[in-house]
Amino acid sequence: MTNKIKREITYTEALGEALSEEMRRNDEVIVMGIDVGVWGNLYGVTKGLLEEFGESRVKDTPISEAAIAGCGIGAALLGMRPVIEIMYIDFISIAMDQIVNHAAKFSYLTAGKAKVPLVIRTQGGVGLRNACQHSQSFESWFVNVPGLVVVMPSTPYDAKGLLKSAIRDDRPVVFIEHKKLYRIRGSVPEEEYLIPLGKSFIKHKGSDVTIVATSWMVSKALEAAEILSREGIEAEVIDPCTLAPLDTEPILSSVHKTGKCAVVHEAPKTGGWGGEVVSVIMEYAFDYLDAPVKRIAGLDTQIPYGKETELQVVPDTEKIVKGVKELVS
Amino acid sequence: MKKRQLLDMYRKMVEIRKFDAVCVNLKRKDLILDGFHSYEGQEAVAVGVLSHLGADDYVLSSHRPQGHALAKKSDPGKVLAEMMGRLGGVGRGRGGPMTFSDWENHFITTTTVGSGVPIATGIGFALQTRRKRGVVVSIFGDGAANTGACHEGINLGSVWRLPMIFVCENNLYGEALPFSKSTATEHISERAKGYGIEGITVDGNDVLAVFETAGRFIEKARNGEGPSLLEVITYRIRGHYEGDPQNYRTREEVNTWRKKCPIVRFRKYLLEKASCTEDELIVIDQEVESTIQKAREWALDQPIPTLKQMIDAKRITA
Repeated sequence: MTNKIKREITYTEALGEALSEEMRRNDEVIVMGIDVGVWGNLYGVTKGLLEEFGESRVKDTPISEAAIAGCGIGAALLGMRPVIEIMYIDFISIAMDQIVNHAAKFSYLTAGKAKVPLVIRTQGGVGLRNACQHSQSFESWFVNVPGLVVVMPSTPYDAKGLLKSAIRDDRPVVFIEHKKLYRIRGSVPEEEYLIPLGKSFIKHKGSDVTIVATSWMVSKALEAAEILSREGIEAEVIDPCTLAPLDTEPILSSVHKTGKCAVVHEAPKTGGWGGEVVSVIMEYAFDYLDAPVKRIAGLDTQIPYGKETELQVVPDTEKIVKGVKELVS
Repeated sequence: MKKRQLLDMYRKMVEIRKFDAVCVNLKRKDLILDGFHSYEGQEAVAVGVLSHLGADDYVLSSHRPQGHALAKKSDPGKVLAEMMGRLGGVGRGRGGPMTFSDWENHFITTTTVGSGVPIATGIGFALQTRRKRGVVVSIFGDGAANTGACHEGINLGSVWRLPMIFVCENNLYGEALPFSKSTATEHISERAKGYGIEGITVDGNDVLAVFETAGRFIEKARNGEGPSLLEVITYRIRGHYEGDPQNYRTREEVNTWRKKCPIVRFRKYLLEKASCTEDELIVIDQEVESTIQKAREWALDQPIPTLKQMIDAKRITA
């Protein structure tokens, strides 16, 4: 018996595997978006799908985000399982009406007779020096719309398992990837697995302070936890994976234990999703708190253009360490 | 066309007119709440286009949907119950007069103007991919024609040659704005050239003219020849909504269009050109009156849902 060598693949490859496996499993799964076919998406996520599944299931579309989203909704209403792609989350504003007013409403309006099993794949965040219309973080927009599921995977393993679940879910799912994560590698098993939507996961155990982080910030929070541990502060890092509906239990249990919590995300602090986590803790774990919950978030600014400056407006490991130290001091 | 078919179309037009009058009355009594938009005067469009459709076909309508729904053969009682927000409605009373969908009958409305067009395109895509014979009719107004979503949806449907037709129901006003002030071209159908599809404008108060062109376009769509753009010119007799001050148009203009009533015109045709008798038509009028009154009574008997019946508690987090 040889020990199984743990396979490491990139976030991009993990997403690609999720798509191709689900497309093999179910003929109703199709992929649609700008340059998802011949190019195989800007980062290579959909590479090879056109060759394997053909033009009827891998659709290159014009630059028409409203049509891409609307088309996905229409196809989903008829029982297909479209995975549409909005190349940058910044462009989702063009598709917003379709997602918010229609994808999120048809099941309600028909008392469940119609379903919209649609996945809207997109990517956000800074990191590729793309300036302020290609670098934003809009997850909180969708969290405030009942009827939508909002997912932000932070590792290759999560990306694959969550995307497969999203494709099998009957609800519309806004699946937000991060442009800085596409090239990172992580262990992903060869055999099939799913990660359920609506479940928060503890990524690092600790008893002194709770850090709730999303997307790219999860890896920063884990690095911060290592550094803090060397200084005797044991941080528990929780990755919600699904921002809405939020699984609050692991967060609240952790806060019961630690009495302190920091929420970390890249989106601007004001009106950001972190405020929701703070509210949940205030509402359900107030008595356990030893200090006010802290938000370590993006600055309330447009994303500047520049190698260093764009990184300076969002949290990093150092800022998380500093913030957590302030919290526990 | 066979006399039987002509009489069916007449019956449907009368049904839509009488249904609308019942709605206006229920709106006055506050039994239909807000968001009601009368369809009076536009019956030839709904009937001329949608009489061609069967159960496997789909319709995407907008905020003035009741005429379209009846023409697609939705049950008048269930539509009326929906418009009154009753549990027996097509969407269990969740959508009301402008936001209802009758999904079992493949009838959907969307009420952010222009938004239904790309959704229709998606349905067309699914029908094409699954090699179904069904078609989608996307009906939108002259106001919607100037939205980005409408343009994107028509373009994509045209590029992919989907089994659908686009119908611009031009009633000459987008809310209070006259068509001439919203659109620089004389006809919306001229835009078809820009999409590489066929486009025609017809008299929307002439049910036979609408029927003929819509039929040809729907047949093209069924045969895999892709979409077409049909513009029908008609007129919104009542205001945009009940209580509309209508300070943007003259009484004379409204009266001129009242004289072009599509039902009176079709009635005349039936009597003079299709060997129908006054008695035959009166019988139909009476039958429809009875159908609509029964629908009204049934709808009024439906309970108003509780909040618990209106929202899905499972989706609400603590």
